[in-house]
Amino acid sequence: SSAYLRSTPDFHSATTLTPNELSLEQRHTLDAALRVDQAGEIAANYIYAGQMAVLGRDKAAGPLIQEMWNQEKVHLAVMNKLHLQHRIRPTLLLEAAKVAGFGLGAVTALMGKEAAMACTEAVETVIGEHYDDQLRDLASFPTHDPSIQLLKDVIRELRDDELEHLDTAVVNNAQRAPGHALLSTVVGAGCRVAIELCKRI
Amino acid sequence: MTARAILQHALPLISTHGFTRKTLSLAVMQLPTPHSQPLSETAITALFGNGDDARRTLINGWLKGGLEDMQHGKTTGGTMQHILKRRLRWNEPVLEHLPEAFALLVAPQQTLPRFDIRPAISHAASVADEACYLTSDSPEGTSWYVRRAVIASIYTAAELHQITSPQTSEAFLDELLEKSESVRRVVAESSLFAEYVGKSWGSLIKSRGIF
Repeated sequence: SSAYLRSTPDFHSATTLTPNELSLEQRHTLDAALRVDQAGEIAANYIYAGQMAVLGRDKAAGPLIQEMWNQEKVHLAVMNKLHLQHRIRPTLLLEAAKVAGFGLGAVTALMGKEAAMACTEAVETVIGEHYDDQLRDLASFPTHDPSIQLLKDVIRELRDDELEHLDTAVVNNAQRAPGHALLSTVVGAGCRVAIELCKRI
Repeated sequence: MTARAILQHALPLISTHGFTRKTLSLAVMQLPTPHSQPLSETAITALFGNGDDARRTLINGWLKGGLEDMQHGKTTGGTMQHILKRRLRWNEPVLEHLPEAFALLVAPQQTLPRFDIRPAISHAASVADEACYLTSDSPEGTSWYVRRAVIASIYTAAELHQITSPQTSEAFLDELLEKSESVRRVVAESSLFAEYVGKSWGSLIKSRGIF
């Protein structure tokens, strides 16, 4: 992802051009994938913003959530550049994603540190699987195109970061949250529905 | 000889022969290895469709050519104004044929609906999307849609103005873009002011120890 974050402009085709030879179906797949990825990164940012609003002053949880939030900010910056490069239409549900994300983060943080971690665990589990599905879809794309190869590398990197957040949440007692199973199921299901909606709208 | 190549070579003939099957027929005589005879009606139907379908294919090809031409605007100027003016100039050689072309696009192909305005919306949306992409004017979220809707409306108004008064169309476009820019500035400044007021109220409430 560092290719997209350089402060000096990079005119390399891998970061500036979108492939011309994709079929219509592949173009729709790319469009939907990057649309939902951007929405997901925005929602993740707002989840952490909601958690920080409640737990920001906590000496243990505050710095931890801030560190994960900083990583999500970088993910979002990369997604915005990918959107520009591949000319992706953003989802109409972005404002809803912000409200829902902040609400989810704040409510789970009000339930306690463990519940906030459980929310992170549930969201990152779904996101990790979602990025894996995308890598599977991208496997059929032309391999010679440098922008597609870079996109696969970026998604792989983002997936690994999200799984690292998942591990962090588990290590920080996510599974001790009250009603962990119910909370995880509800949050996970909500994420899956949001993914399907953002792909289409 | 592909349909795409014939379509490409038909574009310069539109100013003389209009958006007609004859234009497509004569295009083969402009190919790098030109034919000695124009294309037959049967061949036009086979390559481009029956009756007015062939004309619509030509119109859509010409619209696509306009979008490709806008990309040259990026290298010779690059502002929204410059790129939209370039698109208006693409219309100039075929201006007299445009009303008929647009009417053909929205004309009903079946009994219902009576008019299909989707091609008109699609045309304006494509121009707006291309212009925003070329000027890297792509804000996030709902602003992405708002910006494109505004540019599409401005361009549509300018294009309709061009059909009736070609000499003043660029000045009209400038005026619309300027007005849109001042509205955008006012909205941005109002939002900033509202944000500052909100933050100051938040600080006041916090300082009272309510939360």
